[in-house]
Amino acid sequence: MHIIIIGCGRVGARLASLLSSSGHSVVVIDKNPEAFERLEPSFKGKTIEGVGFDRKTLLDAGIEQADALAAVTNGDNSNVVVASIAAQDFHVPRVVARINDPVRAEIFPKLGITTISSTLWTSGRIFEYLISPELHNVFSVGSAGVQLYEFEVQPVLVDRNVKDLNVSNEIRVVAITREGVGFIPVLGSIFKRRDRVLVAVDTRSIDKLRAMLGLTN
Amino acid sequence: MIIGAGKLGRETGQRLTDAGHKLTFVEKEHESAAKAKEIFGDHVIFGDGCDPKVLERAGVSNIQVIIAATGDDEDNLIIAELAHHIFNIPCVLTRVNRPENQWLFTAHRGVDTAFCPVAMSADFIKAEIDKHAKEIQG
Repeated sequence: MHIIIIGCGRVGARLASLLSSSGHSVVVIDKNPEAFERLEPSFKGKTIEGVGFDRKTLLDAGIEQADALAAVTNGDNSNVVVASIAAQDFHVPRVVARINDPVRAEIFPKLGITTISSTLWTSGRIFEYLISPELHNVFSVGSAGVQLYEFEVQPVLVDRNVKDLNVSNEIRVVAITREGVGFIPVLGSIFKRRDRVLVAVDTRSIDKLRAMLGLTN
Repeated sequence: MIIGAGKLGRETGQRLTDAGHKLTFVEKEHESAAKAKEIFGDHVIFGDGCDPKVLERAGVSNIQVIIAATGDDEDNLIIAELAHHIFNIPCVLTRVNRPENQWLFTAHRGVDTAFCPVAMSADFIKAEIDKHAKEIQG
C-alpha cells in the first residue's frame, strides 16, 4: 500500500517505521525537518518538509495514488483538517486522525472522520490493567467503546448455558475455543471446563462481566 | 458570535455593535481577550472556540451568524465544521489567513462565505495600480 503520514513526532515516526518495515510505500510529512531524525535508520520511505494541508505538498506525497493516510501531528485541528481533505477531496480510501481531546474525538466521527484518541485509548488500557488483570484484552473497537476479551472459563460457568452470559447491548459471547478448535456458539451451547471464551463487552459494563465471572476487585 | 478577538474581530465587532446587533466574542489569548473586554465587557468569553464545550458555554445554540476570524486557518475550518454540522448555525463566515488555503473553505466543510483579507487587499492594490497606470498612459 502507498501510505501518507502527517507528523513525524514519536507516534508518526514509530508508525512510519512499522509500515516501512512491513514493506509498504511510506511518505512522511512534517513542517520541521529535524523531526525526521526520529525515523529509524532502516526507514526506506520518503520524507517531505511541508505543511500537511498544502495541496502541493499532498500532491508531491502522491495523495492521488494513496491507499491510506494517517494525520498524527500533536495538533488536533490540523489532523482533522488534513483527514477531511484526504477523505473528501482526494477520496483516499482509508483515513484516520489522531485526536487528543476526548470531546472532539467523539464529535468528528459523526462528521465521517475516523479518529483515534490517544487520551481515551491510553486511559482505557490503564483502567483495564488496574481493574481487570485476569481478562486478556484482544482488541478495542473504536477508541475504546467496546472491548474484546479472552479468558479461560471460570468454574462458576462450567456446564451453564452460553446465553446466560449474554446481556443485551452490554455483553456478548463471540466465540469459544475448545480443545484447540474455535467455533461460534449457537442457541443451547454449554460452557465446558477449559474452554477459552471470547467476549465482546461495552467498556462501561466490565464490572458487570467480572461479577458474572465471579471475579472480585 | 465572533471567534477570535484580534484586530479584525474587534473592528468587525465594533461596526456590528454600532449597527445594533447583539454580539458575543470567544478568544483564547489573554491579551486579545483583555483588549476586547475593554470595549465589549462581559460579551467576551475566554476560551478555545474550537472546543464544542466552550462554544456551548458562550451560547452558540441561539446564534444566527458565526464569524470564524482567528489567525489560524485550521481553527477557522474546525469552527465552520462545528458551527454548520453540529450546531446548525444558518450563516457561517470564515476568514482565510493564507491565500493558498482558499480552496479548502468550501460549502461541504460548513463555510457559507469565506473572505481572505490578504487576497482582498492585494486585489485592491492591484486595481488601484491599474487605474493609475491607465491615467498615466491616457
